[in-house]
Amino acid sequence: MSSLLKVVAKQVKTHPSLIPLFIFIGGGATMSMLYLARLALKNPDVSWDRKNNPEPWNKMEPNQQYKMFAVNMDYSKLKKDRPDF
Amino acid sequence: MSDRINEKIQNYRTAPFDARFPNTNQTRNCYQNYLDFHRCNKALSAKQQDPAPCEWYRRVYTSLCPMGWVQRWDEQLEEGSFAGRI
Repeated sequence: MSSLLKVVAKQVKTHPSLIPLFIFIGGGATMSMLYLARLALKNPDVSWDRKNNPEPWNKMEPNQQYKMFAVNMDYSKLKKDRPDF
Repeated sequence: MSDRINEKIQNYRTAPFDARFPNTNQTRNCYQNYLDFHRCNKALSAKQQDPAPCEWYRRVYTSLCPMGWVQRWDEQLEEGSFAGRI
């Protein structure tokens, strides 16, 4: 790992114009990992512990929004409309 | 509460938007309502209450689910081989 860093540092010192490349590639990789982490931890279809958390999508509020961008859907106006039992 | 449910069942048009299933794939929505219908029947019968509110779930899954799936699950329920937890 440290030899990789040394190679990268040498490249950056001799070709400083490569720095934006590292920023963009690093940023892209970080964003992908963050999205995977959001899917793994927050997605209501995912259940890591099936014994104690069998149907995680049933724990959502009726007006809770999971999507990042919901077009044409005003979540604040929704209310619970299913009978209890 | 039961009057409101009866009124909603009377005015039923189609399955309403369910925040738990916001995407195009509504398979789980169909299955969840089928399960909820049978769980509701079981729970309200055990409590000696009228299972009329459960009709809501039946209407919703009838709107959402392909008829073949519903028939298959009903047959499995009769045989006792249904895989869901009711």
